Amino acid sequence: MKELEKTKRISIAAVIFILAVIIGLLTYKRPKNTYAINTKSTLEKITIENYIVALNELKNPEYVLIDIRNQYDFEKGHLENAINIYAAEILSADNIKVFKELEISNKTAVLYGNNPQEANAPFLILYQLGYDNIKLLAIENSYLQNKLITQNSEIEKSEADVSAFINESIKKANTTPVVKVVAAPPKKVITIEKKKKAPAEGGC
Amino acid sequence: MVKKKIAKVLAFRYTILAVILILLAGGLVLLPKYQKHEGIKPEELLSNTISSERYMTTDRLAHILINQDPSFILIDVRDEKSFVNYTLPNAINIPLKNLFNEENIGYLNQNQYDVVLFSNDHFYADQAWILCNRLGYKNMRVLKGGINEWYATIINPLKPADNMPATDFDLYATRKAASMFFGVVYPEQFKVEAPKIVKEAPKKVITIEKKKKAPAEGGC
Amino acid sequence: MGPLIPNGVIPAEWDSIIAILIGIAFGFVLEASGFSSSRKLAGQFYGYDFAVLKVFFTAALVSVIGVYYMDYLGYLDVTQLYVHPFYLWGAIIGGIIMGVGFVAAGFCPGTSLCAVAIGKIDAIVYVGGIMVGVFIFSEMYTIFEPIYNGYFYGNVTLEDSLGINPYWFVFIFSMIAIVAFIAADMVRKRVKKVFY
Repeated sequence: MKELEKTKRISIAAVIFILAVIIGLLTYKRPKNTYAINTKSTLEKITIENYIVALNELKNPEYVLIDIRNQYDFEKGHLENAINIYAAEILSADNIKVFKELEISNKTAVLYGNNPQEANAPFLILYQLGYDNIKLLAIENSYLQNKLITQNSEIEKSEADVSAFINESIKKANTTPVVKVVAAPPKKVITIEKKKKAPAEGGC
Repeated sequence: MVKKKIAKVLAFRYTILAVILILLAGGLVLLPKYQKHEGIKPEELLSNTISSERYMTTDRLAHILINQDPSFILIDVRDEKSFVNYTLPNAINIPLKNLFNEENIGYLNQNQYDVVLFSNDHFYADQAWILCNRLGYKNMRVLKGGINEWYATIINPLKPADNMPATDFDLYATRKAASMFFGVVYPEQFKVEAPKIVKEAPKKVITIEKKKKAPAEGGC
Repeated sequence: MGPLIPNGVIPAEWDSIIAILIGIAFGFVLEASGFSSSRKLAGQFYGYDFAVLKVFFTAALVSVIGVYYMDYLGYLDVTQLYVHPFYLWGAIIGGIIMGVGFVAAGFCPGTSLCAVAIGKIDAIVYVGGIMVGVFIFSEMYTIFEPIYNGYFYGNVTLEDSLGINPYWFVFIFSMIAIVAFIAADMVRKRVKKVFY
């Protein structure tokens, strides 16, 4: 019986410990959406893979159009057969289910917004969540007399040759401009020395 | 009687504890492994990307460049060819595909400068921003509209029509002055004081200061 | 979420206060389990009492298993934990000196302070010895510095240097611990009992 009395303190500690573990497990919530690929491989994938769809490629029966604009814009005018999923709600359980179903049925979700930049963020987030069946429709939507006008838009197209324009302007000015090429003040190289702190000694 | 039974069980207490430990350790080995969550939560990332806080207008950027604000780094995420052809003054070239190269992380993961990402429009810059934001890098901005917008507003500003409000004319005057600063010459201008800067800025080496304080140590 | 202080859940200014609280608890547990007796500590070297070995091995085991479970569930980020810097020869020489002191006096620095608190004279002498040692070390720092700061291998862990999966490492470690406990018990039964 003396044994038992001795273990009293230990059992109190054990109960507290087990309680802590149980509380930890009860409060645990598995995150609903988790990334499937890390940033490095995402970067590799988006620079190699072709995820851009042009307007004339839309005939492909595998493609399901998804309009990421808000409901008002969607109702004002949208592409034929498009589903409306507003960008801010793209991760909600219902919408994730839509993408999962599309993935199972081997269809490709094609996102579009008012311009490709707008669809970029939802696209990239879904892409990082591991949905490979996501593409981006490179179009620009505008309205003419309340009618939706959709045209192709080329992503990252350089619209003007800026340096050529500047040179041209200099020629046109016809003054012999003395363009002082002022070297920019070199930006300082700032190296913050890691303070090597003397490791605190201690140990038992 | 009961006490006796408990005592009987407790006679094996060390064995029981040992078995529990082995089971727990074995559980760790057998648990299904999943990809470690890298960076902030997807929901958080989504709400960050939806907000347009990250965008910087070309006018604001022109103002910063003219005043030579030293607290900004410009990063050009286009390929090298476009970078050589034209870029913003003092910009650093980090093509999108090299974004996470070892030597470039120093520019992105730091908290001393504001980083402005730009590309032709803001598509690639946005992608770079989203990836950086996921990793929790601070002080990142995106030039709204990129070089195209820069060209349309600063380099070659559109002259407002006569019936436009006065503010438009003010804006045009500011932008025109800015364009002169960035090297554009107008016929009516006789004296040119346009420092044209195409010099590549020396790469800065920024080491992020570790938050770690003097490490606390334990002993036995 | 965790670790709490590096992630700003608890402000960094609190760390000294938390250190004091943990220190008090640690000292209490040491004294309560009888570790302020030099005979008990020395017992593991002579084979009549393995309490120290068992206690510290169990503590390490429980915490390593707990840490990896918490990491798995996302409560704690193992990669953010502090890893002790590894100075090869400093560790070897320091370990030998400390081991000799441990066997000779029957205290390790932590338990010696516990023993001072309950007024043991041998412990007071022991702590005096520590102070003399600290003084000698500081005075001759220039001589010791190459060893003290040299042979630095970074903040490495066994998982890094062996390239072993941490989960397997935990499993193997717990097996080793349990084998060590059984072996210690067998040794203790063979050695003549000492009353202290």
